[in-house]
Amino acid sequence: MPLIEATNLQKTYRLGKVNVPVLRGVDLQVDEGSCIAVLGASGSGKSTLLHLLGGLDRPDKRSGASSAIEFDGTPISSFGAREMDRYRNRSVGFVFQFYHLLPELNVLENAMLGSLVGVGRVGYARRAGEIRARATALLERFGLEQRLRHRPAELSGGERQRVAIARALVNAPRLLLADEPTGNLDEKTGASILDALLEHRSEAGLTMVMVTHDVRVANRADRIVRLKDGVVVEEGVQAP
Amino acid sequence: MYQPLLTRRYLLSKVMPLLAALAVMLCTAMVLIVWSVMGGFLQTLLDSGRSLIGDVSIEWKVVGLPHYEELVEELEARDEIEAATPTIESLGLLTLDNNEPRFVTLLGIEPDGYDRVTGFYDRLWWRPLDEPLPRDAEGLDPRLDTEQRDRLQRAYEHGQTLQEPNPTGGGLSSAMVVGVEVTQTNRRTPEGYIEPRWGVFVPEERFTITAVPMSRQGVVIQPEYLSLPVANEFRSGMYDIDAGFVILPLEELQRILKMSRAERYSQWQPGATVINDDGEEVPALPEVIGIEPARVTSILMRAAPGFSNADAELAAEDVVEAYGKKYPFASPTRDPGWREWAVFQWEEKPGLRVYIAAVRKETALILVLFTFISLTAAFLVCAIFWSMVSEKTRDVGTLRAIGASRTGVAWLFLRYGMAIGIVGALTGGALAWTIVHNINPIHEWMGRALGLQIWDPGVYYFTEIPNQVDPVKATIVIGSGVLFSVLGALLPAMRAAWMDPVKALRFE
Repeated sequence: MPLIEATNLQKTYRLGKVNVPVLRGVDLQVDEGSCIAVLGASGSGKSTLLHLLGGLDRPDKRSGASSAIEFDGTPISSFGAREMDRYRNRSVGFVFQFYHLLPELNVLENAMLGSLVGVGRVGYARRAGEIRARATALLERFGLEQRLRHRPAELSGGERQRVAIARALVNAPRLLLADEPTGNLDEKTGASILDALLEHRSEAGLTMVMVTHDVRVANRADRIVRLKDGVVVEEGVQAP
Repeated sequence: MYQPLLTRRYLLSKVMPLLAALAVMLCTAMVLIVWSVMGGFLQTLLDSGRSLIGDVSIEWKVVGLPHYEELVEELEARDEIEAATPTIESLGLLTLDNNEPRFVTLLGIEPDGYDRVTGFYDRLWWRPLDEPLPRDAEGLDPRLDTEQRDRLQRAYEHGQTLQEPNPTGGGLSSAMVVGVEVTQTNRRTPEGYIEPRWGVFVPEERFTITAVPMSRQGVVIQPEYLSLPVANEFRSGMYDIDAGFVILPLEELQRILKMSRAERYSQWQPGATVINDDGEEVPALPEVIGIEPARVTSILMRAAPGFSNADAELAAEDVVEAYGKKYPFASPTRDPGWREWAVFQWEEKPGLRVYIAAVRKETALILVLFTFISLTAAFLVCAIFWSMVSEKTRDVGTLRAIGASRTGVAWLFLRYGMAIGIVGALTGGALAWTIVHNINPIHEWMGRALGLQIWDPGVYYFTEIPNQVDPVKATIVIGSGVLFSVLGALLPAMRAAWMDPVKALRFE
């Protein structure tokens, strides 16, 4: 049973007066609890695919294009703005190559941010302790218990990415979307980050779509989808 | 719920928002200081003007009001009027003992009645004091001098009665009270008290008054002179009044202005004769054909508690109308007298009305100008926020990626603008309060240290700069400061809200 299913995804960006097709009819199914890697060269449309799956962007609606994305059987392409915000907050977690931590917040606050966005003043008053405990537990799990009050600028790259992962997981999403999660780290640090991420994924039964151009990273996934010029050119299941 | 956290952190971690808050603070302080001083100036002007003319007055300058005692009685019988008192106001000359003349306004009063209407006794300057003035920290006010207590007490009592013991003939003689700035022999100190200069204690001086009585046709008859001792000095706080008014007993001024009660004679007929008791024909002399009642030029009134000045004015108009019917006399040059009488509230007094209107307009104009200047704060906040939104583009992308809505992001920046506005406007309000409350010492310091005298009492009428901040005005100005800041943040907030999250995440 696919958790997320994309059908004939098409996306064209306009650069000046030129239309640049980035995705040209991508079909993708991701089963619940599985981990797939989207592999491709720079400009192949990997990140765009991730943004569409995560509801950060919408596929083309041109006549003739029948792009559709379904999450757990529900078509997210037809979501209104409020539903899409909720989808990104509750169902999806994003991990970016450059971490995107907010420099003014400390580690714990960055990790809590997803939950803070999702609750109002009353909700926060009721659930502050729970949110803090969950963020703290995730940070401890990723070995950052000594760094809770530190600012991102005081952390190493690996530590920053761990904080970003904790932030992505704080609302216990069903789908984790990681855009080159080790792309900005050295090999050793990247490997340890990936270990931690995949370990958590398998424990939590998390569905994960990981975009990478690194074959070694892609090889850690259950399945690899290779993108080239906006179309899936190869798809294969990894040996366990 | 992320907005309060981020607002707090953004506010404290950057220099730019502090600069924006500083701009809001300065604009708020500037507007509030100007409004407080100008508004205070207007209020002091109104209060001081009122201190000499009561709430409502009836005037008939040229001919004067006869039977005024009856009129006062009728006026005081009305519920709307607490007290009424007759006065005479006339131009005159005060000659000091060094023969230096001063053009002054002579004001004839009945002290008790005048005090009931205007609080005159409270304006008498020389009196013994038990406590120093608030700014006289060292207690240097000569009125605190216990050795001078009897002398000061005498001056106070004589000022109240406008009488002094006659040193030569015994009994009591009339005395006058002059404004504290009339003789120019007093020095105003920064602490707010007055000290005599060159050893001249005015209440022990004797000056000469020259009055110019006029006929009913408005023609000067013959100047009259009167030498009177000075009983005390008064201080209204309004420079023009303190430098130009001399107060003396009503009956003295009536006498020298030929406004006292007098017999009226028939026209002398040249060549006319009459037969006397001895049967002889003798030239006919003018005969007494009536009594000309004493007159005053004004009757001042104080509105009764619970009644407005307008109520008192209406009541006075009723009384005047009935009075005019009772005494339908005619002046030699004009028709029925009562129609020429003017009843007006103190603000409408000719001269004062134009001046008050001018000050009101000037205050409004200055406020409008400064409000426009304050709009620069809104533009500054806008510019700073625009740049900050650019700087925070990736943060916006991140927030949108983790589920923040467009309105949530907009609210984050609006809230941020509001926080800057609140911080800036409140500190600006506090700064304005501090400056306004200490504006006189600051002004004096500027005078001493820099040789600057911005507030010239000869120009601005008052000897002290108004130093009160009206809470309502403060609330309006501070609220506007916050509003302008929010408005300044509006456009950048909308820009942040409508930012494409994908582009924002890729922003470098």
